[in-house]
Amino acid sequence: MAQKSWMYSVLEAVQYEMQQDPAMTWIFELTPPVASNPNMPVINLETEFGRKRVVNTGIDENWMASAVLGAGLAGSKSATYIPYQGALIPFQVIQNVAGKLRHKTGGLAEMPVVWIIEMTGQTPGFGQQHSCYEEDSYYMHIPGVRTVVPSTPYDAKGMMHAAIRSPDPVVYLYPAGLRTLTQEVPDDAFEVPLDKAAVRMEGSDLTIVSSGAGMPGVLEAAETLTEEGMSVEVIDLRALNAMDTETIVNSVAKTKRLLTVDQSYYTLCPGAEVIARAVENVDGVKVKRVAFPDAPPPASPEMFTWMRPNAEGIKGAARALV
Amino acid sequence: MTYDLKPSPQPSGGEAPSSESRRGFLKLAALTGAVVSTTGRRALATGDIGFFAKDLSDEKLIDMYRTILQIRWHERTQADQMLSNPDYRGYNHFYAGQEAVATGVCAALRNDGPFDQIDVVYSSHRPSGHAIAKGVDIPKMVAEMDFRATGMNGGYGAEMHISDPSVGFIGADGMIGPAPVIASGSAFAFRARGSDQVAVVFAGDGNYAAPHFHSTLNNAKLLDLPLIYVCENNLYHQYAHYSYSCPHKDIAEAAGAYGIETEIVDGQDVVQVYNAAKEAVDRARAGGGPTFIEAKTYRYYNHWGAPGAKAGELGAFGYDPLAITSFRPEREVRAWMQRDPVDIARKILVDWGVVDETRAAEIDEEVKAEIAEAFEWGLSQPLCAPEDGLKHVFAEGTVPARQFG
Repeated sequence: MAQKSWMYSVLEAVQYEMQQDPAMTWIFELTPPVASNPNMPVINLETEFGRKRVVNTGIDENWMASAVLGAGLAGSKSATYIPYQGALIPFQVIQNVAGKLRHKTGGLAEMPVVWIIEMTGQTPGFGQQHSCYEEDSYYMHIPGVRTVVPSTPYDAKGMMHAAIRSPDPVVYLYPAGLRTLTQEVPDDAFEVPLDKAAVRMEGSDLTIVSSGAGMPGVLEAAETLTEEGMSVEVIDLRALNAMDTETIVNSVAKTKRLLTVDQSYYTLCPGAEVIARAVENVDGVKVKRVAFPDAPPPASPEMFTWMRPNAEGIKGAARALV
Repeated sequence: MTYDLKPSPQPSGGEAPSSESRRGFLKLAALTGAVVSTTGRRALATGDIGFFAKDLSDEKLIDMYRTILQIRWHERTQADQMLSNPDYRGYNHFYAGQEAVATGVCAALRNDGPFDQIDVVYSSHRPSGHAIAKGVDIPKMVAEMDFRATGMNGGYGAEMHISDPSVGFIGADGMIGPAPVIASGSAFAFRARGSDQVAVVFAGDGNYAAPHFHSTLNNAKLLDLPLIYVCENNLYHQYAHYSYSCPHKDIAEAAGAYGIETEIVDGQDVVQVYNAAKEAVDRARAGGGPTFIEAKTYRYYNHWGAPGAKAGELGAFGYDPLAITSFRPEREVRAWMQRDPVDIARKILVDWGVVDETRAAEIDEEVKAEIAEAFEWGLSQPLCAPEDGLKHVFAEGTVPARQFG
């Protein structure tokens, strides 16, 4: 057990699984599978497992996404790290091939495959194409593919173990803005389930539901609101598909007030699905959602930081609800 | 460095070349000391030796020299801003070292006139040089790169998305892959409407690995599109050497396999680049179809920003923490800087009697001052109004704010 960075936690899981299974492969571009942590050995998958198993390829996310699927269909666990600028190029093979494959083969296809897909949007100035943090909405819509988004280094490691071991193909969203987080993370392998939300704070006045990079702002806002006397329950979705309806419904049945927070665009943000499930199951719920407006993120930091949901906006929306 | 490729089928009609003999630009190689390989190209049917720069006026040659210097001083001034001005927020994927490519290609294009008559340029992920060579307003570009409301794109896009259609600069693309395919669509439109315009796409060696590269060349050849694909092979895509993603030493070899006319040029020599571009433009305007030009070149800075660089000095030799896979050796950078596009252009102009050393030095000073003024203007422009982020989503109106619930 040690204080570990996000990337170190993730690669520790991958390293362990690759040591256990000599057939497992990893494909990357741009982001080398290398991580260091104070007083711990450097992890470098490329040097440890060699370039036959760990491939640095060109800027070809279509190949990366398709190749791990093919490796999985041939019986090898396989994962790829797709950096943010290519985050939706793999969409077609994930949506129209992987997502339908088990079903259309009558259950025969096995896909022990993980697509680690980076989400950014945290850096003012990068502008439209390098701020594509709307991937959650796209990928969570695909049946047959598990879509998860951790928000802590602990979950990042545990969900990586679970994703690699899962017989289902997994889109593992990687909120790059949380890369700087550190946390006590066990050295040994452990799993965090791919279909369970986490209750981060318990309360009775208001339920706030968010995920991934939305979580730090939510926790900051919840702390202030608690100091102001509001009893806030905070849910970290973690699993976008399949979504943990039970945890949401149990909470909202108690609070009757639901605020969702997403950095994705307002239209079809994960919170829209959360609200739909809540009001379908609980009568008399008051709801609001905080999200990025339905506009591409502009480069100008003045525009961008105003548009991006933050703790201030969350607090204002919460006060209006309670 | 030559190899055989099957000659491509003859285009029918038009002023297309009709001879299959091959001719190297040995004169040019002798002049610059460069190694030049010509791949599968046919000699011009007209008996023209292909040294089109012979027809350039002194004025045009000086313009080209000035353009090279504009790009160079823009890059240097911006790098200095990034390194020494804590208030400066802009950034760049620097083009320094590659100036002769953008300049030589754009000098062969139609850059002035109504939008439906000028040639269009699609830029890459390293756009400032292409933008300047195509003729954008430099002060407005400087303002845009620092997110100013009066910038070229109102502060919405910044470096990775600069665009000015009024001069045919369709724009930068933050993605690797799509630009060449889209450029082929513009070429498709020109052919369909009977225009003699041409579409040019600049793309790096990194684009080779993307499926878009292959789709572009296949369709450009199938439809004989007036497309010029300028592959700027600067040896590195992002942080990896191109050998990680391309099995060819010359990427033109891959283009040749699609039956496309190819030319490999020394990208450090603006005259060689111009000659190749002029031939390609003439072919495209005459209905002879696409050309693939591979310019061998090099960037003086790392992939992004100015890590490893020092204010006031050209080039980055220090460590880039992101370059884990293939770190560019300092000696490689310095070796390429021995064949600097600015020096080569100046030597040619002096050798040809277009300018003397004194005049060349004056032009350098003039351009340096012009760029300094551009930065002074650009960095004094107003910042954007936050609420304006809700505009320009659709042609009219604004979208609602959603960040406050």
